[in-house]
Amino acid sequence: MSIEEKLWDYIDGACSVEEHEAIDLLLVQDEAFRQKYLELLALNREIAAMEIEEPSMAFTYKVMENIRADYAKKPLKVAIDSRIIKVIGGFFVLTIAALLLFILVNINWSASTTVALPAFKMPEMKSLLSGEVLKGFLFFDVVLVLFLFDAFLRKKGIAKHA
Amino acid sequence: MQSKLSDIALIVKTLAGDQSAYADLVKRHQRFVFTLAMRFTKNREDAEEVAQDCFIKAYRSLASFKQESKFSTWLYSIVYTTAMTSLRKKRVDTTSIDDEDTYIQIANTSSGYDVNNAENRSRSFYLNQAIAQLTPDDAIIITLFYKGEQSLEEIAQTLGIEANSVKVKLFRARQRLKEKLERNLKHEVNELI
Repeated sequence: MSIEEKLWDYIDGACSVEEHEAIDLLLVQDEAFRQKYLELLALNREIAAMEIEEPSMAFTYKVMENIRADYAKKPLKVAIDSRIIKVIGGFFVLTIAALLLFILVNINWSASTTVALPAFKMPEMKSLLSGEVLKGFLFFDVVLVLFLFDAFLRKKGIAKHA
Repeated sequence: MQSKLSDIALIVKTLAGDQSAYADLVKRHQRFVFTLAMRFTKNREDAEEVAQDCFIKAYRSLASFKQESKFSTWLYSIVYTTAMTSLRKKRVDTTSIDDEDTYIQIANTSSGYDVNNAENRSRSFYLNQAIAQLTPDDAIIITLFYKGEQSLEEIAQTLGIEANSVKVKLFRARQRLKEKLERNLKHEVNELI
């Protein structure tokens, strides 16, 4: 280890007790060694007192704006938690499986091959397709279409102005 | 009283969706991150770009910060890798990034404008000039050790090397800084005579 290395360790407080005592002694006895130490100590103080740089005033604002823009650009696919999708998917799979199992358990396998369908009477549609109910339904549809068309035109107008 | 919150408390708030907490974190560390970036880029515009990039990267990876080290140590390692990548991208010639002459040349071109005011220059000006002439590795180690409140072990973690290597590199960096400082001062004295 060179003298300078020993002195830097001494200045940094990184030397052992024995080394520290030996350097203390040298500092008293050896003038050249003492001069070297004072030189390094002065440099050490100067570096420690050095000023650090200052970024522009808008630095934080720019960083936060970039983060906001970055976050806004993120596609919906990334923003959705995949665990939620898995839970919903699992719920449907379990429901379908349970339904299938219930059907399979309730099938009477020994029954005859001819299937007797239950008696089912089709509802009377004529009364529904005429009269006040149909008029009301059509009116509601027209209002809904007009409302959606208005919303579409507004959106288009905003996009044009932007 | 958010400014008094610790880095960890601000990180927790940021992860809970409070972006203003991250803005406080940026304000707290921006000067040092910018200084580290300056050690690499040697000009303010590029340094600001690199520093911004670092904070954005840190925000994206904040959830992966394990809190095993100080936030500053983790952040400085991002600065180091980002600045190194940026420096490599910008280099058009094939000289090594540790080539000292390259940095002496860069530093001299930026500091040549005020030769006439030599008598007004303070010792700190010469120190900054000498640091600018060092290689990024030397300048970074000195800056982290003296201004970043980082131990040798933390610097080792930031740079991805052994603590003993940091000690050796720090010694060499200080030696080179001393030489450059002496050379610059000698040059100025000769100019005045």
